[in-house]
Amino acid sequence: MTAEINVAGMESLADAAADEQRIASAAKSRLQRRRWAVRVTQLLILVGGLGLWQIGAVVGFIDPFFFGSPLGIVQRLADWFVNGTAYGSFWEQLWITLEESLLGFVFGVGSGVIFGILLGEVPFLADVFGPYIKIVNALPRIVLGSIFVIWLGLGLPSKVLLAAVLVFFVVFFNAFQGVRSVDRNLVANARILGASRLQVVQHVVIPSAMTWIIASLHVALGFSIIGAIVGEFLGAQGGLGLVIATAQNTFDSNGVFGAMLVIGMLALGAEALMSILENRLLAWRPKASGDTNVAGL
Amino acid sequence: MSSQASGGVELIGVTKRFVTPTGAAMTAIRDVNLTVEPGQFVAIVGPTGCGKSTTLTLAAGLEMPSAGSVTVSGKPVTGITRGASFVFQTDALMPWKAVEANVALGPMFRGVPKGEALRLARDWLKIVGLAGFEKHFPHQLSGGMRKRVSLAAALINEPTMLLMDEPFSALDVQTRAIMSNELLTLWEKSRPSVMFVTHDLEEAIALADKVVVITAGPGTVKAQYDIDLPRPRGAVQEIRFAPRFLELYQLIWQSLREEVERAYSRQIQSNLKQGAA
Repeated sequence: MTAEINVAGMESLADAAADEQRIASAAKSRLQRRRWAVRVTQLLILVGGLGLWQIGAVVGFIDPFFFGSPLGIVQRLADWFVNGTAYGSFWEQLWITLEESLLGFVFGVGSGVIFGILLGEVPFLADVFGPYIKIVNALPRIVLGSIFVIWLGLGLPSKVLLAAVLVFFVVFFNAFQGVRSVDRNLVANARILGASRLQVVQHVVIPSAMTWIIASLHVALGFSIIGAIVGEFLGAQGGLGLVIATAQNTFDSNGVFGAMLVIGMLALGAEALMSILENRLLAWRPKASGDTNVAGL
Repeated sequence: MSSQASGGVELIGVTKRFVTPTGAAMTAIRDVNLTVEPGQFVAIVGPTGCGKSTTLTLAAGLEMPSAGSVTVSGKPVTGITRGASFVFQTDALMPWKAVEANVALGPMFRGVPKGEALRLARDWLKIVGLAGFEKHFPHQLSGGMRKRVSLAAALINEPTMLLMDEPFSALDVQTRAIMSNELLTLWEKSRPSVMFVTHDLEEAIALADKVVVITAGPGTVKAQYDIDLPRPRGAVQEIRFAPRFLELYQLIWQSLREEVERAYSRQIQSNLKQGAA
């Protein structure tokens, strides 16, 4: 009697396993089809949009003088990369902007983290400096670029400073908030275990503020590129901002669009590197349910 | 033995007031007299908000009393108490550190070199039954396993006094019973004195040598009961059926019930007041 039941039980177990496999493979192929559909549709939209633009420009429906055309932009970019710009090779301009943004990013993040943690840890300093920081933060900081150009000239330092100032406030507020929201239990526990004030900062405060700080780095990276380019706009001897300013002054819309495209690529590349860095630094985090990509099931 | 020896705690006439952010003063505990002998397991029960946890933070030296004196191992408490370890209700583990690094923090803060501290931590993880989970992060463990890590992190410093603030209240009933047994086994080995705050009277009687009932806030000691159940106690699930356990439970519940009811009716009134305002 019991033996029969066992055999029947095993058979139904095997059935269930086969069933599960069938369901899983069906779900997988459905998921794959959907992914393909998304990619193909995205490509169609891109090709369709660019095609309409190009046809419009050729037919005269869209005035290429004001709006450029996709082919014109490609030609303009090719010309820049092959023959260079009026002030040296295009790669050089790219490198100048990159250098300015990276230096601005490094200085801005460094100072933002240091001041954020300092003011977060010492309430007296936070109370004293709070209003001043709010005032400076309320300024449209782009206009500071003009004063930086007057102080530091047309070279690299004025752009680095502008980028650093933009980055500083983003990172500062996040670091400050991160320090303020440290779990009080963790601090109490570390103190009871024998940690000194410095050890508490090193082992508890900084690591837990890190999540906040890293979250701000994406925005900060974008701001550093904006700072560098706006700085170049306001007065420079090289860089992508100057390339755009020159194109604008000669009514070269293809040039403006082309430089925009290059800057976009630059930002996307930097963003991808930042994501890799973020995953490295925050490896301890539990995987968010959105990451597993089961939504398509 | 007396409370002078290492691990003994003595609170004499202790009052603790807090100033709320709005500037109002709030008395958490009032005129508390409480003695914990070295190696004694004392459970503190009382209604919600009666200042049970405040008693622990005073013994740990995280807070200073507004009046009265707190003495640990014969010395007045002036800062963080040496030789004390704390287990919190929510686990105070660093989510960004692997389990072994979390446990190694205690020795590291005391100046033990990192390699040595990690070796010690792995030994302790074996003792609490977590061998093989050294490199896991806290979020990869279940609530009961995280509690084991917290216990290892607290005991690795070989405390003479263990302060526990509702340590198992976030666990499900079965896990809680398992962890209670585990705690008793570990405690028997090194016998630190324990102050164990809980709102669960069964848990208190099953674990402790002495149960202290605190009144509704501002809390003060209402009564103390010696628990004369033999040690080692064995499984906490089974001791609950012992006749002596039931006697003690009824006796202490009589005393605790009044306080719980008073605290509850007070809470309802204050909610009513807030609703009216």
